[in-house]
Amino acid sequence: MELTFEINEQVNGGVPVIAVVGEIDVATAPTLAEHLGVHEEAGAAAVVVDLLGVSFLDSTALGVLVGSFKRLRESDGTLKLVIAEPRILKVFEITDLIRVFPIFTTVDEALQG
Amino acid sequence: MSDTVALSLPVRSELLVLARITAATMASRADFDIEEIEDLRLAVDELCLSVVGGARSGTVRLEFSVDEATIAITCELDRSGEPDDGDVPGEPDDLSIRLIEALVDEHGRDSAGGRRRAWLSKRRSRVEH
Repeated sequence: MELTFEINEQVNGGVPVIAVVGEIDVATAPTLAEHLGVHEEAGAAAVVVDLLGVSFLDSTALGVLVGSFKRLRESDGTLKLVIAEPRILKVFEITDLIRVFPIFTTVDEALQG
Repeated sequence: MSDTVALSLPVRSELLVLARITAATMASRADFDIEEIEDLRLAVDELCLSVVGGARSGTVRLEFSVDEATIAITCELDRSGEPDDGDVPGEPDDLSIRLIEALVDEHGRDSAGGRRRAWLSKRRSRVEH
């Protein structure tokens, strides 16, 4: 069974923007981890993960994002998230990760912030 | 209305979506509102993750019961008869537990032999007229 899941990447002003569409769970989170891993290894100063198209996200996805955030920070980089959907934001609020990640409501804000 | 639905799944990550679909369908039929249904979708996903841990084999058995204004879900990992390939299920992730605690009214877990079990229940907020 296939979930609705798609990752589109572009580079905007030198910053990788990873746009995720669909549900991020234990089956799909490894694909997101692979995409993030490429930019971690390249020593990216900032990576934006656009979650505007995400309809579901669980602790596996949080684990991938937290891991990537830590690795990027070790090389003085950062991981920015774009979230507008309240039910996705709620997952970050419950786990207190809202205080960890820089979170923006649009990709443009994330690129400028 | 009182309904019980059972689901038996091999441990495969891509099948976890079936637990979410079943929980959402049962909750919708029981008149839970949209936010409660979303809470249950995430809670049952985390419930399964907390039981399966790092196991790569076995069977996940789920039971969904709706009675009056409450939905109860039990998730059990059965690894009896499975070869001991070293993929012992780990302890549930802290994030998983925090999410379950925040999203449902009651939850718990136990284990015995080759079985691990966790359960939750959530009451509907909407009052029936």
